[in-house]
Amino acid sequence: MPPAERWKHRLALLLAGFVAGPLVAATPVIEIEIRDHLFYPPEVVVPADTKVKLLIKNLDPTPEEFESYELNREKVISGNSQAVIFIGPLPPGEYPFFGEFYPKTAQGKVLVK
Amino acid sequence: MLLTSVILILQEILEAAMLISILAVISRQQQRQLTWLPAGLLSGGILALLYAANMRSISEWFDYVGQEVVNAALQVSIALAIVLLTWLVCAARARGSLEQNRPGTSLDRRFVHVAALTISLAVTREGSEIAVYLGGFMQQPDKLQAVLTGSAIGAGIGISFGFLIYYGLLALRGRHGAWLPLLLLGLFCGNMLSQSALQLTQADLLPAGPFLWDSSAWLPESSVIGRLLYALVGYESRPSALEVCAYLLGVSAVLVSAALARIRR
Repeated sequence: MPPAERWKHRLALLLAGFVAGPLVAATPVIEIEIRDHLFYPPEVVVPADTKVKLLIKNLDPTPEEFESYELNREKVISGNSQAVIFIGPLPPGEYPFFGEFYPKTAQGKVLVK
Repeated sequence: MLLTSVILILQEILEAAMLISILAVISRQQQRQLTWLPAGLLSGGILALLYAANMRSISEWFDYVGQEVVNAALQVSIALAIVLLTWLVCAARARGSLEQNRPGTSLDRRFVHVAALTISLAVTREGSEIAVYLGGFMQQPDKLQAVLTGSAIGAGIGISFGFLIYYGLLALRGRHGAWLPLLLLGLFCGNMLSQSALQLTQADLLPAGPFLWDSSAWLPESSVIGRLLYALVGYESRPSALEVCAYLLGVSAVLVSAALARIRR
């Protein structure tokens, strides 16, 4: 391919990426429940280098605050309500999180693989 | 429960206590009254209770990211108010005469209004989390006493820390006494913008990027010093490039504002 053609080709690919990207790459949703000040499941596995939507359902009547130093995330979740927190894209590793209002029991981690 | 409440309330209070201390020092240096403090605390307290009472519905706004949007709006407003305050403070300094700052003059009135607004917004943001936390224990009388005791201890430590900063800064004389409170105000402004960028990233309204650096191995955010630095200057062990840019933008805005106010003397 001559250089000019090659650049056109690249530009077309780039534009196609911008247009089609959001349509093709639907953000995976991971559900976590809070019951009796515990996270269920306590460990969730998410793909590396991918943006993920955490859907956290607080089934307790009391509020909780989702907090993670490793994920840089912090959010109050009222009792009997749900919250959305976007995380990633992240490199592989372990990312602990906890409930700041009941940290003795509310512990969990995100495993990025 | 007791220790958890101590830590939680302390963390929430530290940030506001530091901002109040810095503004109080600046006020005292310019021989102003602290009339903005009760006004800011009272209005902030009421707004915090309203925010907390409506936390559930606010969280559902904008497809479940309402909390992030409101918090980011509060933080950006605090940052803007700080930039304006810096201008008012430096303009007063540049004029030199303390006559300009006497209660009732236009510069003084504007300072009082903007300082009250700044404190009000800061208390709304931090106070709402405290109100949600304590509100959760209202139906649990068995735990309430321990939580209230812990909260009182946490609040006591936080307020003492505020006084420590206040008297520490006030004891500084000459040049240091003049620029250090402004520098801290600049760092606070950077912290607010950086936190707002993080909130909007969490809501997927701003793009997430890779960590710019990772200092979690030698100064973890979960450590006591890490938490203290987080509350005071917005320390993050793994910030994104966007957060760092927002931080630098906040600090620069305060410095530019101070410089412009001096030039216009």
